[in-house]
Amino acid sequence: MLETVVQAVINGLLIGGIYALVSIGVTLIFGVVKIVNFAQGEFVMIGMYISFYLASQFGIDPIVSLVVSMPTLFVIGVLIQHFLIRRVLGPNDMPQIFLTFALSLLLLNLALLLFSANYRTVHTSYSDEAFHLGGLYIPEAKLIAFVVAMGLSGALWVFLHTTDLGKAMRAAAQNRDVATLMGINPDRVFCVALGVALALAGAAGSLLMPFYSAYPFVGQVFVLMAFVAVVMGTLGNVIGALIASLLMGVAESLGIQFVGADSGLIVVFALLLLTLAFRPNGLGGGRMR
Amino acid sequence: MTKDRQQSVVDGGIGAKNTTSKRHSRRKFLVKAGSAIAAGAFGAVPLRGFAADPINIGALYPTTGSMAQIGVGCVAAAKLAVEMINDAGGIKSLGGAKLNLIISDVQSDTTVTRTETERLITGNRLSAIHGCFASALTLIASEVCERAKVAIITGSSSDQLNKGRTHTFTPFARASQFAKAQLQMSKLVSDQPKVAVIFENTAFGTATSNGLKELAPGEGVEIVMFEPYSAGFTDASPLINKVKASGANALFSVSYLNDLILIVRTVKQVGLNVAINGGSGGFVIPDFYKNVGQLAEGLQGVAHWNHDMDANAEKVNAEYKKRTGEFLFEYAGGLMAQTYMIADALERAASADPQKVRDALSALDVSSGFAAMAPGGKVKFGPDGKNVYGRPVGVQWQNGDLASVFPKDDARAPLMKS
Repeated sequence: MLETVVQAVINGLLIGGIYALVSIGVTLIFGVVKIVNFAQGEFVMIGMYISFYLASQFGIDPIVSLVVSMPTLFVIGVLIQHFLIRRVLGPNDMPQIFLTFALSLLLLNLALLLFSANYRTVHTSYSDEAFHLGGLYIPEAKLIAFVVAMGLSGALWVFLHTTDLGKAMRAAAQNRDVATLMGINPDRVFCVALGVALALAGAAGSLLMPFYSAYPFVGQVFVLMAFVAVVMGTLGNVIGALIASLLMGVAESLGIQFVGADSGLIVVFALLLLTLAFRPNGLGGGRMR
Repeated sequence: MTKDRQQSVVDGGIGAKNTTSKRHSRRKFLVKAGSAIAAGAFGAVPLRGFAADPINIGALYPTTGSMAQIGVGCVAAAKLAVEMINDAGGIKSLGGAKLNLIISDVQSDTTVTRTETERLITGNRLSAIHGCFASALTLIASEVCERAKVAIITGSSSDQLNKGRTHTFTPFARASQFAKAQLQMSKLVSDQPKVAVIFENTAFGTATSNGLKELAPGEGVEIVMFEPYSAGFTDASPLINKVKASGANALFSVSYLNDLILIVRTVKQVGLNVAINGGSGGFVIPDFYKNVGQLAEGLQGVAHWNHDMDANAEKVNAEYKKRTGEFLFEYAGGLMAQTYMIADALERAASADPQKVRDALSALDVSSGFAAMAPGGKVKFGPDGKNVYGRPVGVQWQNGDLASVFPKDDARAPLMKS
């Protein structure tokens, strides 16, 4: 019994690491640029296809292809901010919502057109292997994904707290007008925020590739969890999103194990409602860090 | 017939149907002359006495949309079958008439299926139709065919297709038979099979798994776990954790492709020793092996057709492989047999009239040749349009290929035990 619980927690933490990469991206964009990016899942999908093609055409390991997918998506993020989002930033929220939603639909259908609806899988030597500890097992591919995801989250935290650019991003998140008065160029900061957020989505895609199939709709699976985590961990709060993602992974896993295999999401949403009932501003208590 | 056809080409081509008037106006003359020249230029006017008119066969398959993967393979097989029949001299009782395949894309969509089927029937003189392997689409297409009184022959396994229909023919095993075969196969693995059934919680998974649950006691199979899950999960580990805890020695997974890939991989990671039976559909197509690779080895499933059944099936498989690079999977292979069944009916009807072809199909009774390519090797339709000899075949992935392993009569390779 104990073994089953521990195994369920391990499973939850491992998948929670992937949710974290997606939700940190969403929360970063919301915190800094103040828009909700509905297309975040589609950038995970793009990251997956980049890794898939690098693996199938050139035999590059999906984890190694992080060095391609992250910079590529960083550039895409900067371009999207500069040419699209910048133009709809204003007092009215609607154009921003429609913009990212349209972007999501466009990318999704473009992927259907270019890649077809087929599932694409990459096999690596560690894809189907696992470490066994007594009766417990830890799948290698997921462990690698988890470790890299936590490493990237940590690196982001260090970036936000120690570099000038990172501090400027946090300043812009706290108060855009004052930050501008202090000499921070918001356009530049926003571009970097979008770039970093999309790079994280790309990383999630590459890390998923050794154990998950790529298909055009794949982003939708992960973005739902990401939005729940973002709300639960306080919108705009990076640490909150990280903790909430891990919690949700565990809640989902325990739900499947002990409530029913189709009840994972029920437990996740129940947890969200409980959190909002007792801490209406989320786990972060409404602070954006 | 020849005269008829020619008339229709000329008239139909120009829309000048009213030729009863004896007075040939200049306009009519010009129209007719023009159409004759145009038709001649396109080679559409058959030379009387030299070649018989082609016989139109309709083919309804989704070549775009979510079901396109299987649909595209079906179209390739349909073309191959028509080519083989034509190369062998066409329909002899009709003066060597050639089959002409008219393909229509139903786009994996039920609404499009209805309009496309109607368009196909009204726009062409069809002798018969085959198509829509997917049950949801076939149910609609067959309704349209019934109303238009054109026979449709299909590889879909839905039992609903055999209720109150007169122009619908199903030469292969029915869905209800699949569950039974799957349960019987679990006894190949263990004398006391303990089966865990996991299924995605929408119509497809629920209906199939309920069939398994109902039949299990009668087959002496114990179901130790019966668990719905939501399709499109991110992680199969918790589910497989549950299977492990249930102590099952066989796992039936009623799943869509992506979930099944995750399930198979996770079973390997957990190191769980359980015989997996993935059922039919997406599990027994080449794409499954492409995605799962080595891990697919030894996995079992059920199919209504397999390419190693007899020499004829192996022959068409070799030809199909040459063209597409992949083995002939159940829907595409069954469809080749269906085309030969239509050809057999045409031969006996000695007419391209859809009603006569339908009557000849209902009297079909073959036990040799390409038309008899079915598990058991015999096809004869009952009054409900069901092949009275129809039965599924149990298959197993062996060396990247699907081998028939069950029942004994149809087994072409020994069961590989893991």
